[in-house]
Amino acid sequence: MSSIVVVGEVDGNEIKDVSQQVAAVAAGMGDVVGIVMGKNVAEAAMKLSTAKIIIAEDDSLENYDPIKFSSIVAQVVEQTSSTKVLMGATTMGKDLGPRLAAELNWGYLGDCLEAGDDGFVRPNFAGKVLAKSNPTSPVVASIRNNAYPAGESWSGTVENYSGNIPDSKLTTTSIEKVGAGDVELTEANIVVSGGRGLESPENYDEHIRPLANSLGAAAGASRAIVDAGWVPHSHQVGQTGKTVTPDLYIAIGISGAIQHLGGMSGSKIIVAINKDAEAPIFKVADYGIIGDLFEIVPVLKSKLGN
Amino acid sequence: MDIVVLVKMVPDTESRLEIVDGKVNESGFKYMVNPYDEFAVEQAVQFKEASGGKVTLLTLFSNDTSIDTDLRKMMAIGADEAIVLRQDGYRGDRPSANAKVISGAISEMNADLVIGGVQGIDYYQGATGPMIAQMLGIPHISGVTNLEMNGDKFTAKRQIEGGLQVIDCPGPVLITCQKDMTKVRFPALKDIMMSKRKPFENREVSLNEENDIQTNECSLPPARGGGVIIDGESAEEKVDKLIEKLKTEAKVL
Ligand SMILES: Cc1cc2nc3c(=O)[nH]c(=O)nc-3n(C[C@H](O)[C@H](O)[C@H](O)COP(=O)(O)OP(=O)(O)OC[C@H]3O[C@@H](n4cnc5c(N)ncnc54)[C@H](O)[C@@H]3O)c2cc1C
Repeated sequence: MSSIVVVGEVDGNEIKDVSQQVAAVAAGMGDVVGIVMGKNVAEAAMKLSTAKIIIAEDDSLENYDPIKFSSIVAQVVEQTSSTKVLMGATTMGKDLGPRLAAELNWGYLGDCLEAGDDGFVRPNFAGKVLAKSNPTSPVVASIRNNAYPAGESWSGTVENYSGNIPDSKLTTTSIEKVGAGDVELTEANIVVSGGRGLESPENYDEHIRPLANSLGAAAGASRAIVDAGWVPHSHQVGQTGKTVTPDLYIAIGISGAIQHLGGMSGSKIIVAINKDAEAPIFKVADYGIIGDLFEIVPVLKSKLGN
Repeated sequence: MDIVVLVKMVPDTESRLEIVDGKVNESGFKYMVNPYDEFAVEQAVQFKEASGGKVTLLTLFSNDTSIDTDLRKMMAIGADEAIVLRQDGYRGDRPSANAKVISGAISEMNADLVIGGVQGIDYYQGATGPMIAQMLGIPHISGVTNLEMNGDKFTAKRQIEGGLQVIDCPGPVLITCQKDMTKVRFPALKDIMMSKRKPFENREVSLNEENDIQTNECSLPPARGGGVIIDGESAEEKVDKLIEKLKTEAKVL
């Protein structure tokens, strides 16, 4: 059986859920070696659900650096004679994956919805088309959050990384937290999004954010209100924003333009609240409420708030 | 400061997507400049305006479609010249082969900064930029929302989960732009007129095979049947029914 390298990512003292999902997928494909890179990551790294775990700990790995991380993974690939590298399609995975593929001279499949022995499926045209491939040559792939159930936390054999860490001209000087307490859109189980139907940025803050907070959800937006400057682009869902696949997506005052649908139609359950019965969002919604959001949302918030 | 801007031509977002024999029927596609790349053009022009130098647009595209009008628009923003690598049999979903050709062209250009969009809105791999950087042996920073230049040093803010990673790097470096990075200007009439006289080179390049993974089959995602409209006499009744369904039927609450 061939070997597969899984790149695990740490968040505080925990291994990221998406990394456990990727580890679970990889387990069905061959012998799996996990690699976790960072500073003081050993405790979290040992939770990665792969049979073997290699830990690369160094002060210089505190923040993600494509040159260092790509080189380390490439060395682990060589050492283990692996033919696949899988990672979560996080901001790190989507950056590291292609650089690593170029370093290894391998193919790359980004943001996969499915991965397995019988092929990989990835979205094209913002999810409006699904492209399936059956790579027969070595491949690096990043896999989207929520595509698979997470593997159980357990520790396999642990080894320290013994290769070298190259110099890099990139220096991370700080990490700026934005909107402390906000849940990240692409990792959220529930997303509450608002659109132009809200009429003003104040209404977004009054109706969308508190509802999102009470559900432990991330707050999303249509492009119309991002362009209007109500919320930053980091909130935008759609073809030129983020693609989200939560368990529950609630679209409030959003018409459902094709470019918006591209970013959220992979959600498990979609709820739409819109006063226009003809709004295209109802064509993809599992549950729709036709009505004035200013009447519906406060009731929803008060019922879900506790 | 010499800047190369990577500009990809992508199918218009309104393009009809039809599958024939497991392949997307591309015959009716109209192409446009990838929206993310426009931010890169604007940023490059701003740097040039601040400290001089030259902004070159670099595009790899097929042989049979004219894109002069689209690239002239980018030149009206302030880019100085355009080089279009024309390839028979070009496809947008071969990041590694495309990165090889593009990096080959860049390596002859002495760029201090290579800049493009974070991803193409066609295949969404976000791969070509980092691959080109690796092939050129230079660092890259992807998904940047804010880029500053001080002398020959750049400071980039890169979007990460829950925040921004602030990174310093000397040139040459490859940057890919997120949407918030710049506001693309509307060119003045005189700049539009001027753009028509700027150098525009079409250069033949050959098709190369790389390690890209071929797509075996395309399909449309299972259509989401329109679901149920929840009715009720009052907002309260509708909301109660919705919550009930989310809890017992959909089991997502
Ligand atoms: C190249 C390109 C890329 C794009 N990328 C994206 C993208 O990534 N994401 C994106 O979202 N869009 C994108 N768009 C824009 C998209 O086409 C739409 O313009 C946008 O999604 C509309 O946003 P909206 O639904 O908030 O606004 P509108 O279309 O104006 O819809 C507002 C909705 O609110 C409803 N409403 C109004 N008042 C109330 C009320 N009191 N109660 C309940 N409902 C109410 C209305 O019935 C209407 O359906 C893109 C467009 C282009 C051309």
